[in-house]
Amino acid sequence: MENLKIGIFLSDCGKALAETLDFDNLTSFLKEVPGVTFVEKGTEFWKGSGLQEIVKTIKEQKANRIIVAESLPKLSEIKIVEAAEAAGLNQNFVQVIDLKDYCVWPHRNVPLEATEKAKATLLAAIERAKILDPIHKLEFPAVKSVLVIGGGISGIQAAEDLADLGFEVHLVEKAPFLGGIAARAGRFFPTDDCAACIQSPASDVKTITHTSRKCIYRSGIAAIQGLKIYTNSQVVKVDGEPGNYRITLEKKPRYINEAKCISCNLCAEVCPVEVPDEYNVNLVERKAIYTIIPNIHPPTYVIDEKACKFHECEKCVQVCPTKAIEMDEKTETTTLNVGAIIVATGFKEYDPSVIKEYHYGEYPAVVTNLELARMLDAFGPTGGKIIRPSDRKPVRRIVFVQCVGSRDKRWNNYCSSICCMISLKHAIMIKTVFPEVDVSICYIDIRTTGREHEEYYEKARELGVKFVKGRPTEISHDPESDLLIVDVEDSLLRRFLELEADLVVLATAMVPSEDTENLAKILQIETDEDGFFKEYNAKLRPTETKKRGIFLCGGSTFPKDAPSSSLQAHSAALKAFKFLNTGKIVKDQKTAVVNEEYCGDCEFCPVSCPYNAIELVKVDEKHVVAKVSDILCEGCGICVGTCPLNAIDLRHFKQSELRAQTKAILSVNKQNKPLILAFCCSECGGASIDSAGMTMTNYPTNVRIIKVPCTGYLRIEHFLEAIEYGAQGVMVVGCMNNGCHHEEGIKKVEKRIEAAKNLLKEYGIEPERIELFNTIFIEGDKFAEAARVMTEKLEKLGPIQFSKES
Amino acid sequence: MTSYALFLGCTIPARLPNYEISARKALNRLGISLVDLEGMTCCAPPPIQSLDLEASLAIAAYNICLSEEANLDIITLCSGCFESLTVANETLKQNEKLKTKVNRILSEAGKEFKGSIKVKHYLQVLSENVGKEKIRASITRKLANLKVASFSGCHLLRPSKILKFDDPERPHVYDELIEVLGARSIWYRNKQKCCGGLLRGHADDVALAIAREKIVNASKAGADCIVTICPFCYLTLDLGQVIMKSTYQEEHSLPILHYSELLSLAIGVDAKELALEFHKVKIDNILNKIE
Amino acid sequence: MMETKEASISFSKEVASKYGGETITLCYQCGTCSSSCPVAKATEKFNPREIFRLVLLGERQEVFYSNAIWLCSSCYNCQERCPQTVEVADVFFALRNIAAKEGLLPNIYSEFASALINEGRIVPVSKFLERKREQIGLPPLKTTGIDALKKILAATGFDKLQLKKEVES
Repeated sequence: MENLKIGIFLSDCGKALAETLDFDNLTSFLKEVPGVTFVEKGTEFWKGSGLQEIVKTIKEQKANRIIVAESLPKLSEIKIVEAAEAAGLNQNFVQVIDLKDYCVWPHRNVPLEATEKAKATLLAAIERAKILDPIHKLEFPAVKSVLVIGGGISGIQAAEDLADLGFEVHLVEKAPFLGGIAARAGRFFPTDDCAACIQSPASDVKTITHTSRKCIYRSGIAAIQGLKIYTNSQVVKVDGEPGNYRITLEKKPRYINEAKCISCNLCAEVCPVEVPDEYNVNLVERKAIYTIIPNIHPPTYVIDEKACKFHECEKCVQVCPTKAIEMDEKTETTTLNVGAIIVATGFKEYDPSVIKEYHYGEYPAVVTNLELARMLDAFGPTGGKIIRPSDRKPVRRIVFVQCVGSRDKRWNNYCSSICCMISLKHAIMIKTVFPEVDVSICYIDIRTTGREHEEYYEKARELGVKFVKGRPTEISHDPESDLLIVDVEDSLLRRFLELEADLVVLATAMVPSEDTENLAKILQIETDEDGFFKEYNAKLRPTETKKRGIFLCGGSTFPKDAPSSSLQAHSAALKAFKFLNTGKIVKDQKTAVVNEEYCGDCEFCPVSCPYNAIELVKVDEKHVVAKVSDILCEGCGICVGTCPLNAIDLRHFKQSELRAQTKAILSVNKQNKPLILAFCCSECGGASIDSAGMTMTNYPTNVRIIKVPCTGYLRIEHFLEAIEYGAQGVMVVGCMNNGCHHEEGIKKVEKRIEAAKNLLKEYGIEPERIELFNTIFIEGDKFAEAARVMTEKLEKLGPIQFSKES
Repeated sequence: MTSYALFLGCTIPARLPNYEISARKALNRLGISLVDLEGMTCCAPPPIQSLDLEASLAIAAYNICLSEEANLDIITLCSGCFESLTVANETLKQNEKLKTKVNRILSEAGKEFKGSIKVKHYLQVLSENVGKEKIRASITRKLANLKVASFSGCHLLRPSKILKFDDPERPHVYDELIEVLGARSIWYRNKQKCCGGLLRGHADDVALAIAREKIVNASKAGADCIVTICPFCYLTLDLGQVIMKSTYQEEHSLPILHYSELLSLAIGVDAKELALEFHKVKIDNILNKIE
Repeated sequence: MMETKEASISFSKEVASKYGGETITLCYQCGTCSSSCPVAKATEKFNPREIFRLVLLGERQEVFYSNAIWLCSSCYNCQERCPQTVEVADVFFALRNIAAKEGLLPNIYSEFASALINEGRIVPVSKFLERKREQIGLPPLKTTGIDALKKILAATGFDKLQLKKEVES
């Protein structure tokens, strides 16, 4: 049993604190506490000589636990812990207490009481110091290899970035060709050039010049060192941990050897099978052996296995000059070992056939923007001409309908953000090449919010595009004229229009790609209520997920244009690089640990963990126990709060430590005030208390503060213990309801507080003695007011009367 | 025999005995027994909902209570009643707060809404309970030459989220019930559009214009008649043509029939028993087209 | 005629707090309702989108002193098509309920109300019709539950509606 020697360093912050606190009184009190070896007073301990002072004193006094009372602990903590570690202490044996913001500045008018509170706060730290355990640094392997799921322009660019940085990159694409939406869209705004265009690689790829951009087919991506491209492939399983994932890939057969095919088209010429070409909106037919636009990768044909007659026919095999066709190719399964995963699966067009009043799917002349793009593409089914799908006659009148299935509570509530620009782009393209075509756009609002976007709206008006502010109620078909009739109110003119059209283009909503839900399950990452992958924080971490090592970019999180997709691709690549670059992931073991003896085969904790860090593992035929993954666990303690058998604890914040602090902080009360114990979280909630201190906002000193990792850690027992140890009231101060840094914590503790109130009622104690407060940093005044109100309430209620039955 | 509580509403007994008698005869022949309950009142359709929407819920609920007490589902011949009673029935079944409020009002009349019965339009009963096969088997007269402009009106289908009778954009139940009789249900412009009936009495010029459009569209498409399933629509289009004659000096002579009349004739009811003299626009051509 | 600031803020709230009117504030003026409306297509006097605009801008007087809100034929086509799930037809019921309470309603509605209160039906059955029923073989009509109805109307305050003739048709 180690002989505990607790050392305390008190700073009076350049004598500022000494104006309120009686340091002599404080010091003599602390010296009397068993276990305390020394109490040293100084002016600042976190700069220069102060830190050296700490190292020197620790060594001299052979202290093995230290408490440093300091101002600006968030700045000083790091340096102080480094200094203590230099003196041989484990990092967890160092506690830095914010005496200034907790005990002095909010209480400058009551120095005696402030000193009492300081005594209580430091006593709590001392009692906690006695039962601290060391926390070790863990190292996990980080394989410098990345899986990129999705071969659209964001996936390709993220893959390029990482390959340029020397990583091994596996780019996996479900379709037989790369490009995603870019392979069908023709041109992208705001540059009006080919959509299938990406950045030039930064690394030295011999003949590839370093210009701003390159067509995919001549970008050299296939030659970049370390970049492996898998088309016709899908991720079917993901095992392992961040930094060390095992990926199972399923590669469907292409039936054509990529190394041999020269794209000569002889096979397609002899192929006897013709099927509708869904890539070209079924406006034309293709063969069972086919390719799409030529500027894409790989420049290889593919066999449609549903249409091909294989060995019954073999005409293509006979004519292929390089013997590239392999009809017996089978599905291949490969495993990869990667350190991080980037999800770049993009979005797709919503199917508007559910919007029955628009007759999509019924009237061939009602098409979507992507389908129009195929027509406008010179490589497309009509060679760039716009024709009526029914009789192939040239189109004279086109009507665009905006917000089809977007901003619509019946289908998709959100604005899909790019459809106004797409329609404007198309309208401009049409009017430029075919100025005699009448183009109208029916809209609710025109949204051209990005850089260089407003110019499109201006250009469209200049070219004579008509804008009708009204949402059509119905598209009908006049059998006599074979024209479509768009029934819309021009709300600006307050006139009902029946617009005749040869072609109606629906600017339909953009929704998550096919298989997003399935992939989310495989990766164990979350999707939002619209089905898009959920980013870690919309404001600050748009390309990360809550799960370490899995990143997002492009349209997979929300519809976006090419510039935004590119931006996110580069961001995701950077994040993956940061994560894996040192070859190892270093982490303090500030994690949860399960007491396997107590663990009771239930499923509460894995479900409660916001990081999916807990797994149920079989120990024998009958039993499972929960096991915490140290690499995934973020040490919030929500599992601790949730476990019905109290079988989990946090290594860096044991429940025994909380109990010790509770008992100690409530034991100092010479003025006999009605003590309130305020549990606050380590994020927004706690920050509001710091803020109250920083702004010298006054509140009563009977409010004693204990910081916990997350309010979700708190159990009903903790509240009852507080009362048992002398609190007259309990405040729980945490983040906003929808802003918990660990997502669920604040919501869970709210429910437990309700339960605690009911329990108190049964004991004959007023339930309003325990309350929840949601605050953020700038709401220090809200915390102070709450403290005052609660104090007044408790003074009115008087001390707790434990009823005879309790 | 399946029994239903027949809810007649106000307009049918007051103006359209031909609708009532054809419905009673046809439904009886097809195995549906109609029970007339004591004490029913107006269903509180849109004219009353316009004055007090919550009171209308209570009035409709009162009538539902009578059927609940008789342990019978309700059958209606009027789409207005169908909509009013169904909306009340479904709303109160799903909304606890409203149900409590309405039951407090109903307690004054000694009733309590329990939500134990269903409200059905007679087309629903024909399609779901009788079934097309049985109707087809009961046909004794040919309607093969008849080109019918079917008009379901508004409140059979809408508000579709509550009524759930048929797809409001692609309704097919009614047309199938016409075709099962052997007649042809033809396309005509703006088939699903309202007849404007509710505007009669205070905006007659507008109401008449809307009704006229319907008559013209059906005629243009070559319809022999328009067939309705709501007394309001029937009056607007049948009596409406008399008013069109005096207002616009136009004679359209497009017969308007109730579906139940067509059904009765098809399954062999004698035309003399159907009080067909109540049609303002004479329907002799139609009778001639039916054997 | 512009309302005072106070009235303008509260009119849409007033409508939203009435049964049937709850969804009015969702409206973003797309015009789908108007182009779905059979009445709007037949007369300039009625345009649902425009009336909602007036409500949202707080023009209470203008909304109630015209008889426009009584021109909705309750066909519910607007409500089916509205992309914001505004219960358009029901909002018109709510607006009419407010107007009726203040005695602003067309004559015929007063007649419907009187018929309901006095006879339990909105269209009375004439003696002629009763005899006709007998002639053609229809069963005699059951009695109307007028007593029960009177109690219900009293409990809801329906019988206290000011049925004054204020609005020109």
